Amino acid sequence: MIKTIYFVFYTELILLLQRSQAWLYPLGFFAIVLVLFPLALTPDPVMLKKIMPGCLWIVTLLAQLLSVESTFTHELEDGSIEQLILSQIPFSLCIFAKLCAQWVASALPLILLTPLVGLSFQLDIHTIGILSLSLLIGTPLLTMLGSLIVALSIGLEKQGMLLGLLILPLTTPVLIFGVSIVQQAQAGISILGALCFLAGLSVLSITLLPWVIASSLKLSCDS
Amino acid sequence: MSHFFTFGVRNLGYARQQHVLFDSLCFSLQPGEMLCVHGANGTGKSTLLRILAGLTTPTNGHVERDPATSLHYVGHMNGLKLGLTVSENLRLIAQLAQTPLTVCSDVLVKIKLDVYHDKIVKTLSAGQKRRIALAKLLMIPRPIWILDEPLTALDKESQDFFLDQIQMHLQNKGVVIISTHQPLPLSSTSTLLLRRA
Repeated sequence: MIKTIYFVFYTELILLLQRSQAWLYPLGFFAIVLVLFPLALTPDPVMLKKIMPGCLWIVTLLAQLLSVESTFTHELEDGSIEQLILSQIPFSLCIFAKLCAQWVASALPLILLTPLVGLSFQLDIHTIGILSLSLLIGTPLLTMLGSLIVALSIGLEKQGMLLGLLILPLTTPVLIFGVSIVQQAQAGISILGALCFLAGLSVLSITLLPWVIASSLKLSCDS
Repeated sequence: MSHFFTFGVRNLGYARQQHVLFDSLCFSLQPGEMLCVHGANGTGKSTLLRILAGLTTPTNGHVERDPATSLHYVGHMNGLKLGLTVSENLRLIAQLAQTPLTVCSDVLVKIKLDVYHDKIVKTLSAGQKRRIALAKLLMIPRPIWILDEPLTALDKESQDFFLDQIQMHLQNKGVVIISTHQPLPLSSTSTLLLRRA
């Protein structure tokens, strides 16, 4: 069973890497929008140190929105979702494997780019480390919540804007805790509280949401 | 695959937004029997097959199937990952059914796609895609086959090949439910004709 789940993950990853809008667009968006902040606000390094962690988190949220829309469209179009439902493997585990691949393709590149972005905005190494850690813990939650909304809104026309309206309010706790981790680290306070809360939310979403998403997808196939 | 089982429906009905597609449908199939579902477009053939496969919930009645007997469902859509190669698709099918992968290469020869094994499925023709979708019937032995217009887009030679496979499956005490627009040259066939209400 583990081998099968791994194979589903592997094939999904291949498919995602073939579609540049799944990983290259969010990455490009992330890099370009971040460059706009110092141009529009201030190039002052002291100021940038204060605002960049927050900006980086907002841009991550928006970049995730870009990639999440097409999460299930291909499966529904080619009918492979029916074969997953009918397979011997629990459907929710297949969805879990698929969402892991989605996270690796759309969120991991942003996290890997963060140290580079941080250095170019003159953040210190400690802050960059904490920022990357907060993204690493927070982004799985973004992928799960985004996919949940996409699964619930399948069949609606013009999903794009609606997804933003539905997903962004849901992700505010992630933003609040993610940014406060970095701010507390910069102020020299212990980050453990916010970090644990965000990690808890992440674990909760990773364990429960695949089941919810799977049921929702089954319902949308049932017509 | 010779164990005894029955597969049938009792009082099955399905309505889509007040429009009744079929109602009070009863039948049962014994091992070695085949049901051929005919009917004009929009009379609910595909819906019936989806209900039998367990993908769609019927409005009334229920499907009687021993949960231990597994089934194959090949729908209108082939259910292939278009971005993967032929052999990757077959590996995925085998993995999802938890079957050893050794049979893949034999199957490729049988469906005459062995030279295309590393081609991306997107680049193949409709008939070739259909053959890959049907390949799981040969790869994974399961007693119940539910096939929604399986022969569309297939050439004469492949049609004959898959009809032979269906015949062999029936001889091995399997059950086949098939929807089609053309008469099939197969023995032991019952026919169900769906009409517009």
